[in-house]
Amino acid sequence: MGKTNIDEINRNIYDIKNKDEYEFKIKKGLTTDIIKEISIQKNDPKWMRDFRLKALEVYNKLELPTWGPNLSELNMEEIATYVRPKTKLNNSWEDVPEDIKSTFDKLGIPEAEKTSLAGVGAQYDSEVVYHSMKEELIKQGVIYTDMETAVKEYPDIVQKHFMKCVPIYDHKFVALHGAVWSGGSFVYVPKGVKVDIPLQSYFRLNSPESGQFEHTLIIVDEGASLHFIEGCSAPKYNKVNLHAGCVELYVKDNAYLRYSTIENWSKNMLNLNTKKAIVGKNAKMEWVSGSFGSKISMLYPMSILNGEGSKTEFTGISFAGKGQNLDNGFKVIHNAKNTSSLVNAKSISKNGGKCTYRSLVRIEENAKNSKSSVSCESLMLDDISISDTIPVNDIKTDEVEFSHEAKIGKISDKAIFYLMSRGLSEEDAKAMIVRGFAYPISKELPIEYAVEMNNLINLELDGAIG
Amino acid sequence: MNNLKLNETPIRTSRNFNINNMKLENIKIPDTINKFNNIAITGNSSLISNNTSNIKLTYGIEEELINQIKEHSNIELKINCFEHEQMQVDFNFDENNPTLLENIEIIANESSKSTIILKYKSQDDLEYWHNGLIRVNAKKNSEINIILVNLLNMKSNNFMSIENNIEENAKIKYTIIDFGGKNSITNYYSNIIGEDSDNTINTIYLGKENQLFDLNYIGELRGKKSNIDIEVQGALTDKAKKHFKGTIDFKKGCKKATGNENEACMLLSDTAKSLALPMLLCSEEEVEGNHSSSAGKIGEKELFYIMSRGFELKEAMKLMVRAKFNKILENIDNEELKEEIIYEIDKRLD
Repeated sequence: MGKTNIDEINRNIYDIKNKDEYEFKIKKGLTTDIIKEISIQKNDPKWMRDFRLKALEVYNKLELPTWGPNLSELNMEEIATYVRPKTKLNNSWEDVPEDIKSTFDKLGIPEAEKTSLAGVGAQYDSEVVYHSMKEELIKQGVIYTDMETAVKEYPDIVQKHFMKCVPIYDHKFVALHGAVWSGGSFVYVPKGVKVDIPLQSYFRLNSPESGQFEHTLIIVDEGASLHFIEGCSAPKYNKVNLHAGCVELYVKDNAYLRYSTIENWSKNMLNLNTKKAIVGKNAKMEWVSGSFGSKISMLYPMSILNGEGSKTEFTGISFAGKGQNLDNGFKVIHNAKNTSSLVNAKSISKNGGKCTYRSLVRIEENAKNSKSSVSCESLMLDDISISDTIPVNDIKTDEVEFSHEAKIGKISDKAIFYLMSRGLSEEDAKAMIVRGFAYPISKELPIEYAVEMNNLINLELDGAIG
Repeated sequence: MNNLKLNETPIRTSRNFNINNMKLENIKIPDTINKFNNIAITGNSSLISNNTSNIKLTYGIEEELINQIKEHSNIELKINCFEHEQMQVDFNFDENNPTLLENIEIIANESSKSTIILKYKSQDDLEYWHNGLIRVNAKKNSEINIILVNLLNMKSNNFMSIENNIEENAKIKYTIIDFGGKNSITNYYSNIIGEDSDNTINTIYLGKENQLFDLNYIGELRGKKSNIDIEVQGALTDKAKKHFKGTIDFKKGCKKATGNENEACMLLSDTAKSLALPMLLCSEEEVEGNHSSSAGKIGEKELFYIMSRGFELKEAMKLMVRAKFNKILENIDNEELKEEIIYEIDKRLD
């Protein structure tokens, strides 16, 4: 069976480029003066300016990771870390400049806001250009705003939580984030408030040779619940762009948070993102993650189960095509009694793409009667791709139930034969099997996003098999 | 005193996970190496010579330790298997034979079918040093069954490097009984290169007190329809620690190859620690790879059942451990040796 490969897939709406117009773009590079300038441009309070400078100091001291994908093509001298679009923060789409609004229209954000979301934040390059939330949530005391506003209007709560869950010492790109962060969302759900309809932030990077460093800080207070969706995309340029965002989630006692991501960065993007959640007593943290874009991705969301009886689930899929190296996974620390974690990770590699599942399950000595179950499956669609599974299982006490299983394989010829005998073409049969493989993840997404994910799978498969 | 960094994994992961290598501090590498005389060989000794080939390893446990063998080995054994050979070599450590640096090379010649038992045992509680190297070349259509038994005391250091080359339709089967050593570090590498070649590794380890086990098993599948099966069963009590790093690497061209890895650790105390990194690396489409890893305490229901039949807790636990190990022990035909291993399990769990 011959294979027809095409070099570049038309990523249609995701690849729409607007003119590189901005109100302010910091010069490329990373120096103390540049950080001070960003701080002035953003009108930071003193504590934040000092924090940025400290983070830069840490960044300069830390080494690049000695493992994972090769990051040698990243040259911070070639990246502009702050690009302010030519608009302020708006709370009506009508006030957003036409070209920017048109991009978000095509991505379906305003439409989704009308039909299925309780609030939306939209970031364009380094700043949030639109933020809005339904009136009834405001009345219930829910706060959903851009990070800059939060720093100014809720200084105590921000200062108490900002980069405390993900300290700047964690790794080099977290330190970088601390120095240059801009944009992102802040959410606070008060005690006992259940936000039934999801909130969504969408991050769009338009400017070439630049970076996006949004900071998302979510606090779901005791007994409250929230579903937060994060989407991201960018058009493709010839030189690398950098995304080093940071997500800090505090899920307090008896609270519930689901954090869903559809990541579809362009294939010149280095996605070096960090996400971490601290989970309280009897609380539950769920991660749902679809990773399709980026040239290189190093993304390992982490749950720290600090409260007794806390739970976490991770459901994720990565799809690597030509020229992509997606090094993704999940980390969980069981740090209290009766905690549990459930991981279901899948990956698909095709056209020379590389998927790596890299993970950590650590059950600490105090985490008696904890349970962890991990399953990861990898699908190879051709013999020029690569799929690796690198899971670390660190069990420090006896009263636990831990199991991990992984599988690597190709699409079964028998299954293709069966579907073809039912009248499907070989291409459709393979696409159906891949969609079926991804189903456990897509079924966890709201319907609009499941449809988007299926479209992305079709887009990725188009021309790659046959 | 030396600080050693051993057993590097073929692929690195985050340093914070503490598994890329194994650091041993303040290790005294013996500098005076005398002859090792307390060795007993049963079987056809005419197959043995001492003209081993030059040592060139793909991995190996650590450079300094490999150099120690290259420069100072006190046992050189080249075993040439031609037909259906059965051989046992016992290395007995004692006051006069405290250091063993053996360089063993086994050639399983074409269509031969052999079993070789290598047993390492200490008779007392003195601190011994074992740093060994086993290289096996399984030629076309050969089958070789190697049983390694480490019954050293818990004050000694046990280091073992193993490298295998497996040609077309050849099979190498290892049964590894790893009980002894304050530190027991094993580096195992197989180049599974021949079409239809096969490698099976069955390991049991048993750790108590402050014992540390670091097992780094790497199987590279290159041959079409080649196969590797790794089964590791262990039990840890007191403050014993185990690091298991198992890598099955499907190299490009190994179409229709299969690889399975199963690692299970029984934790018999709340201070025992199990760290595992079961890796699957894949650069080929038409393959099937599976791994599973588990850890936990002995099933309470099973313990309750055994105790309801009149057994004390400790005896019930011993029975459970033996039951878990039994499947692997069944690979050993030599009843006397099997009895000795079972006796050691009971003794070490007392």
